[in-house]
Amino acid sequence: MSSVILRNVNKSYGNLPIVKNLNLEVKDGEFVVLVGPSGCGKSTTLRMVAGLEDITQGEIQIGDRAINDLPPHKRNIAMVFQNYALYPHMSVRENIVFGLKKSGADAETIKQRLADVSEMLKLNDYLDRKPADLSGGQRQRVAMGRALARDADVYLFDEPLSNLDAKLRHHMRTEIARIQHQYNMTAIYVTHDQIEAMTLGDRVVVMRDGIVEQVGTPMDIYLQPTNTFVATFIGSPAMNLIEAKIEGDDLVFDHYRIPATKIANVDMHDLSSHDTVLVGIRPDFFEDSALSSPSDNLFEFNEIQVDLVENLGFDKEIMFKLGGEDAKARLDLRSHVKRQEHISLSVDLNRVLLFDTSPQGMLINAGEV
Amino acid sequence: MSSILVKNEAKLGLKLVAPAVGIIGLLVIYPILFNIYLSFFDVQLNGDKTFVGLDNYTDLLGNPRYYHSVGVSIVYLIGTVIGTTVLGLAAAVLMNQEFRFRNLARGLILLPYFAPVISVVFGWQFIFDPVNGIYNHVVVDVLHLTDTRENLIGNPDSALFVVILFDIWKHFPIAYLLLLAKLQSVPKDLYEAAAIDGQNAWGRFWHVTLPELRFVIATVVLLRIIWNLNRFEDVYLLAPNVETLPIFTYYQAFAGIVDQGGAAAISVIQLLVLVGLIWLYVRKVLKW
Ligand SMILES: Nc1ncnc2c1ncn2[C@@H]1O[C@H](COP(=O)(O)OP(=O)(O)O)[C@@H](O)[C@H]1O
Ligand SMILES: [Mg+2]
Repeated sequence: MSSVILRNVNKSYGNLPIVKNLNLEVKDGEFVVLVGPSGCGKSTTLRMVAGLEDITQGEIQIGDRAINDLPPHKRNIAMVFQNYALYPHMSVRENIVFGLKKSGADAETIKQRLADVSEMLKLNDYLDRKPADLSGGQRQRVAMGRALARDADVYLFDEPLSNLDAKLRHHMRTEIARIQHQYNMTAIYVTHDQIEAMTLGDRVVVMRDGIVEQVGTPMDIYLQPTNTFVATFIGSPAMNLIEAKIEGDDLVFDHYRIPATKIANVDMHDLSSHDTVLVGIRPDFFEDSALSSPSDNLFEFNEIQVDLVENLGFDKEIMFKLGGEDAKARLDLRSHVKRQEHISLSVDLNRVLLFDTSPQGMLINAGEV
Repeated sequence: MSSILVKNEAKLGLKLVAPAVGIIGLLVIYPILFNIYLSFFDVQLNGDKTFVGLDNYTDLLGNPRYYHSVGVSIVYLIGTVIGTTVLGLAAAVLMNQEFRFRNLARGLILLPYFAPVISVVFGWQFIFDPVNGIYNHVVVDVLHLTDTRENLIGNPDSALFVVILFDIWKHFPIAYLLLLAKLQSVPKDLYEAAAIDGQNAWGRFWHVTLPELRFVIATVVLLRIIWNLNRFEDVYLLAPNVETLPIFTYYQAFAGIVDQGGAAAISVIQLLVLVGLIWLYVRKVLKW
C-alpha cells in the first residue's frame, strides 16, 4: 500500500483544459472518492494516476516514487473499469490470476489469493466460465476480483457499479466498503453517484469542470458545503436555496423574518455587507411542527401550503413554495400532511446555511461542524 | 434472438440463396462430376475416349514427377501461407497505430493486390534478371556479397523461393485487410486492462491482440490454403519451371504428351485432399 499525491496536475486535449490545477493527497490506506457531474474530468484524473493518459502538467507520486514517466505496467496499480474489460478468451479463473501471475507471485500465493477472492465475491461456481456466459453482476464481481487479487500499491475504480441494477449496486457498495477496510487498501474511486460517494469515502472530492470544489469527509461536505454547487450536488433531494433580503438582523422573504443572530457561525458585521443572501435548508432538516419538540432555536415556517405529497415508505417528501420557488421537505412517516393542506414546518437554525449571491455562491457562515 | 425470428430468417436466407445455389451447382458440380468421369478414361485429342478403369491413377502414383510436384506444392503452401499471414499481421498492427498520412499508407499497402498479375510479373522477372536485374546489381556490385551473378528464376530450386516471395508480396494485403478490420474492433479497454495487469507492449500483443484475432487468422490461413493449392497463373507466368501441382496438371493435360485423363485423375486426388484438409481444419482447429 502507498499514498498517492497529485501536485498541480493539469490535463488538456489540444487547447482544451480538462483538469485544472488539481491538488490531492490520498493517504496510505485511505478511500477517496471523486464525485461530480458527468464530464467533469473524474475519469481523466483517475486515468492519469493509472498512466493511461499522460499528464499535461504537474506531478503525480505513488509512495515516494514520481510516476509521471512510468508506463502503466510498471506502476503496480490495480483498476476496475466501468465496462469491466474482462479478457473474453480467458476463464474467470484466468482473468482473476492474470495480473497476479505477471507480478511474479508463486503458485501457493496465487492459489490462496484466488481462493480468497472467489470466496469473498462468491465466484466459486463460475471459475471455469468465460465472461460471455456471465450476467452483468457476475462480470462486475470478476472485474472486482481481478483487481483485488493483485497486491497493488493503489486500487482505482472507475464507476464500477454504474451498470448494475439498484439492489445489486447497494450490495456491492457494502462489499467494497468491507473489503477496503479489511485489506486497508489505498483506493481512489470515481462516481457520479453522490450516495456512493457519501457512503464509501473516507474523504470525498467534489469536482466540477475540471476543478476541485471541495475536499472533505462526507459529513463536512454534507453539513458545510463550501458553495452552492456542492450544496445542491450532494444530498437528495437537493438543498433548498431561498433568496432573502437582509433587513437589520433579519433575513426576510415571503412573510417570514428569520433572526440571523440565531443561525450558527454568522458574523453579523460581515452579513451587513450583503443586500441579499441565499438561505440553504436541506429537505431533511424540516420537521412537521405538529411533531417537533419545542426548542428555542427552532424557526417556524407557518401557513405552508402543501402542493404535493410523495410517500416513500419510511418517510415522505412534500413540495411547497418558499420565497416564490419550489421547495422540498422530507418528513417522517408519522406526519399526516395532505395535499392542499396548510401546515407549519420547523427548522433548527443551527442547521441553516447562508451563501452569498455571487455566481460562485460561497458559504458565508462556515464554522465548526 | 428468439427462435421464431431465427427460423424466419433461415427461411428468408434459403429463398435468397436458392438461385445462386442453382447456378453454382451448374458451374461447379457439373465440371467436378465430369472431371471424375474423365479420370477413368484414356482421352484422345480428337475426343475419343476409352474406358481404362483405375489405370490413370496407378500410372500417376507410379510417376516420380507427381511426387516431386506434391513436394514443391507443400513447400509453396507452407511458405506462402505463413508468409502472407505474418506479413499481413505485421502490416495490420502497424497500420492500426496513429500516425500522419495513415489513410494514405493504408491504401498504398493494397496496391500489390490490385495490380494486374501479368504486369507485375514482368517487373519481378526484371528484378531477378541475371544480367540487368536490380537484385544481382545490389548483391554483386553494391554489397559484394558474392562474385557470381545468379539466375534465380532460371534455376527451379531458387525459383520456388522467388515464386513464394512473389505470392507473399502480392497477397499479404488481403490478410492485412481482414486482420486490420478485426483489429479496429478490439476494445481499447482490454489493452488498458492488460497494461494495468503489468503487460508491456509485447505482452499486450500476445495476450490481447492475438487471442482477439484468432478466428480471423484461422480464416486467413484457410483461405490462403484453398487459394494457393489451386494457384496457377502467378507461378506459371513468373517461373514456369516451378512445378507445383496445378502446373504439373497443366503440363499433363495440355503440353507434350496430352493426357487429359491423367490430368483429371490428379485433380480428383487434389480435390479429395483439399476437402479432407478443410474438413479437418474446420472441425479440429477452428472447432466451428
Ligand atoms: N480523448 C479526448 N479528447 C478530447 N476530449 C476528451 C477526451 N477524453 C475525454 N475528453 C473530455 O474530457 C472531459 C472529461 O472527461 P471524463 O474525465 O471522462 O469525465 P467524467 O469521468 O468526469 O465523466 C469530457 O468533457 C470529455 O468530453
Ligand atoms: Mg467517467
